[in-house]
Formats: sequence, C-alpha cells, structure tokens
Amino acid sequence: MPPTLEDRLRSARNADGGFGPVAGVPSEPDATALAAIALDDGDARAWLAANQRADGGFGPVVGAVVRDDTAVAAMALPDGDARERALDRIVATAGANGPGGEGDPLGWPWSDGTHGWVEPTAWAILALRAHRPDASDRLDDGLALLRDRESVGGGWNFGDRTMLGVDLHPYVQTTGIALFAVHGLDPGLMARGLDTLRRRWASEASGLLSLALAAAAFRRYGDPAATETARRLRGAEPVEPDTVALAWATIALGSGLHVLEVP
Amino acid sequence: MNEHEHRSGIDRRTFLARAAGATVAVVGATAVGWRLGHPHRPPPFDTRIFGPPGEATVAVLKASSYEGALEDVVLEGLRQIGADVHGARVLLKPNMVEFDPGSAINTDPRLVAATVAAMRRLGAASVTVGEGPGHRRDTGYVVTASGLAAHLRDAGASFVDLNTAAASPLRTNSSYTGLGELWLPQAIAEADVVVSMPKMKTHHWVGVTLSLKNLFGTLPGRVYGWPKNALHWASIEGSILDIAGVVRPRYAIVDAIVGMEGNGPIDGTSKPVGLLVFGDDPVATDVTSATIMGMDPGRIAYLQEAGRFLGQADPSRIRQAGEDPAAVITPFAPAPGFANLVAS
Repeated sequence: MPPTLEDRLRSARNADGGFGPVAGVPSEPDATALAAIALDDGDARAWLAANQRADGGFGPVVGAVVRDDTAVAAMALPDGDARERALDRIVATAGANGPGGEGDPLGWPWSDGTHGWVEPTAWAILALRAHRPDASDRLDDGLALLRDRESVGGGWNFGDRTMLGVDLHPYVQTTGIALFAVHGLDPGLMARGLDTLRRRWASEASGLLSLALAAAAFRRYGDPAATETARRLRGAEPVEPDTVALAWATIALGSGLHVLEVP
Repeated sequence: MNEHEHRSGIDRRTFLARAAGATVAVVGATAVGWRLGHPHRPPPFDTRIFGPPGEATVAVLKASSYEGALEDVVLEGLRQIGADVHGARVLLKPNMVEFDPGSAINTDPRLVAATVAAMRRLGAASVTVGEGPGHRRDTGYVVTASGLAAHLRDAGASFVDLNTAAASPLRTNSSYTGLGELWLPQAIAEADVVVSMPKMKTHHWVGVTLSLKNLFGTLPGRVYGWPKNALHWASIEGSILDIAGVVRPRYAIVDAIVGMEGNGPIDGTSKPVGLLVFGDDPVATDVTSATIMGMDPGRIAYLQEAGRFLGQADPSRIRQAGEDPAAVITPFAPAPGFANLVAS
C-alpha cells in the first residue's frame, strides 16, 4: 500500500515542528500554516507562533523584500494574541497601485509595497471573514479586487484580466482559492468561477496543486465534480510534491476543509 | 569558468560562497543613475568582482526543427564556443514561465533534453534542469503539461523546482535595485556551471527577453510571488542586472528554432527562425540574438549596462562562429511600445 498524500505530508515535517516548502528544507510560514490547517496540527501552530515577526506578520524577509504570508498563518493560528496581531497586520496591509491606478482596488500583495494579486487577496479575505469580520472596508476592497481581476468569462489567473488588450485565461489553482474567498458573497462570481473550474480542471489535473484546489473548491461548493476530482486525487502519485500541494490535497480529502468554510 | 573567474582564480561556487559571506561594498546607485547617458557615474557594481568584460564567442547554428539530430547540433554549438563542462555539475535553466498549448512561450523541452544529452557527451558529472515558473504556482502542471517531465524522464535527468527548493540569501554584487539580498536556490549556488536557455522572444516591458531576463526564473516565487512582482517594483531592468550579477551564468543557449514576436513574452505570435544561438558570455549572446531579431542592441538599455560588467556588449569584440548574424537576420515584430528598438 503506497503512502497516502496525507502520509507524505506528515512525513515532511521537520524536527522543529514546522514544514518546509518541500521535505528536507527548513520550515517556513506558508508551508507550515497550510500543513497546520490540513492536519489540525498543534506542533505546526507552535512553530508558527514562535516565528511571528515583530510587526505581527509572517514570511521571510530577504533584503528589501518583506514577504507576506500573514493571512494563511492567521487562518492556522488558534485564538489568542498571535492571531490578533496577525489580523492587525492584515488590516493594515494593502497592495500598491502605480501611476494610473489611483482609485483601483488595492487588495493584498505577495510582498510589502507591491501590487495586490488574487491569491494573497483571497487568503486575506478568508482570514478577515473568519476572524475580523468588522473590517468591512478592507473586505469590500478585497472583493472589489477579485471582481476587477476576474478573467473574461469567469475564474481567475494570478491576477491580470487582460494584458495590453489580450484577455488572459484563468487557472484552476487560483480560481480554486478565489472561490473559497467569494463563497456566499457574490453569486455571479461564484457561478462563473465554478463553471470555469468545471471546464478547466481536467486539463490541468496533471498538477497536484491544481487538482487539489479543484477538488477542495468543488467540495466546498457541494459540486458533483467533487467526487471525480477526489477520486483522481486519491490515485495521484506525484514524484516530488511540494508541501503546499500536499497540504491542499489533504484539505480536499480530509477534515481541514472546515477551517476554510468561513461564515 | 568565465574570463573573470579565470582571472581571479576561483571557481563559481567559491565565488558565490565568498559573496554570501562578505560585506560587499557596492557603490550606491539608483535605478535612474545607471541609465545610458551617465557613463561616468560611479559604477553600481563591485569592481573588485567584476573586471572589464573581455572577448566573447557566440555561435549561431541552423536548426530547422526540434526533431532529428538536435543533440548533435547542440553538441556542435557547444564545441564551437569552447564549452568546458568536463566533471562539472551543470544546471540548465530553460524558460518555462507559463504553459499555453500551441504557444511558443517556453524553451522547447526537446531542446532541453538534447542539451542534457550533449552535456553528458562533453563529460558533465551531472546535469539538472531547474526552473521557477513566474506565473504558475503549480510547477508540476507546467512541467508535465509542457512535456518537459516526460522528456527528462526519458533522458534520466532530474528537475528541481526553483520556486520551492532550498535557498538562502546572498548579497547582491551590484545595486541597481536596492534589494540588497536575493534568495537564491542552492541548486543554482552549488552548480559549477549554469546554462541560461531562454526562448528568443520580444517582451512588453523590456523589449527583448533572452539569457539575462531568463534568470528571473531562478528566484523563488515563495519569496517574490507569482508573478515575481517584487522584482518589477524594484525595477525590471535593474533586477535583470542584479540577478545576473549573482547567478553569473557560464553559457547561454537561445532557443530560436521558433521564437515569439509582438506582444511577448506570453501573448505574442510564434516566429519560426530556425536557429540556435550559443555563447560563452550571456551579454554577447543576447547582443547577437537581438541583432538576429532585427533589433539594435545598442538601444536596449539593460543590455548596454550589462556590457559594463556582466559580459561583452561590443559587437567588435564578439567572435562570431557558425552563421554570420547579419546574414540570418529575421526581423521580429517589436513588442508594443518598443518600435524604437528596431534596427534602422
């Protein structure tokens, strides 16, 4: 019996309790937070709490680049001071728009002082909806960014609807995470996103992360495609999967999904 | 080793290790200060590391398709530039920023596989292929759907996802961005020889994307994002220079069998050229490639700046082997806003 994807995720844990982006690499916040959600794992949460930055954020700081993985960490942390400081940081963080972008939604960036993008914005919306729902201005802004960046016909890619007049097609992975964020907020976005996911998931199923996000999103929405995507996921035997993909697969097939089912 | 490393007498890994540990006194400069027209400002790169670029060799070989004896063509090209990889740990860095069926976005996997085989025939101790896709977080999808995974499996070569691989911070050797440090995968830092393998493409932000711009894919998305927007905000052209100054690719092989023109690097149009461009110097390789594209390399600001320290940008000091670039010019439609680059 080959190890399940969850087994493989568990075996990727480092001695310090955290998880690296792939097995054998030092622990980092993003991978650890997602693994904590997937496995309901106290050791991973402890690692996170011990690696919170002084500004309340999470993520590596490399030279002038301050990576922001705070929202996914906030979703993983238990009630308490660490999560509250993370939420404060999320509320205070916004993407930056360059000249000509004044008045556009800001959303949340991958790193401080840069543009907002779909995936970090989706995570921030989830974290605020779950634990700081009174941050309505930021939630409205985040939803506005997802509306603004929606691909023509529905769904999302990394976060550009068009580029120099060309419509950019959506991706399964980013459509999946964005669907979690907009669940219950905007019927049109939800319907178009789900339809996009139904049309595209099979063509991108060779990627574990894409397949896992599709399966998780279908399950979240109670879509019939959840059955087939889960079946495909259980049969997947990726050669060298990364931790984030394994964690999403575990979320899609396990109990961690409830953490992302925000009100 | 390239000329600078020969001169300093250290190999590439030693160089990187020293760079990581040293407090490199890079002369401060802003992204504005290095622009052409200010050649007398203090150099924004460490002159103790980068000497004046020397002579370079570039070979342009005809290759009409990705089928047939591509491995032999690659081997011949590498021989013409005097590539020495005997006993070396080689890392090939193709351009796999995204995948879109039927497009010419990526370095063709068949060329990558042929290069793996050619490197082995030249005595490389190991050959690894590494990439950190810039748009897609799901590298597994890009590598599988593009066919690269199957070709590498057939070739018995390994792939490393540079977006998730072990990495550590390295101080930059130049200061075109102010980033200060770059998070560089160990697979890059520990390779004896890095070969940049771009697609010959136009680029809607910097005009052309070749062996220098291709190095964006060496930095991990888990720090810089998808897309690697932190590098854009810091200055795309400056990032090209700062990254190349740390990665220091030893050779370049440009996939110009089919390139991309117009609205590249993603949404352009396929452009059959029927060439492969090999170089022992990334700047010289890009100068020659831009010339073949019908662009004036003298008008590509980042390339001219790179010629101050990263390699040879002066065509008179580039020894051309194989086809005469002037005889195989295949004009590319420029990216929107870059008509000024077209050679007159």
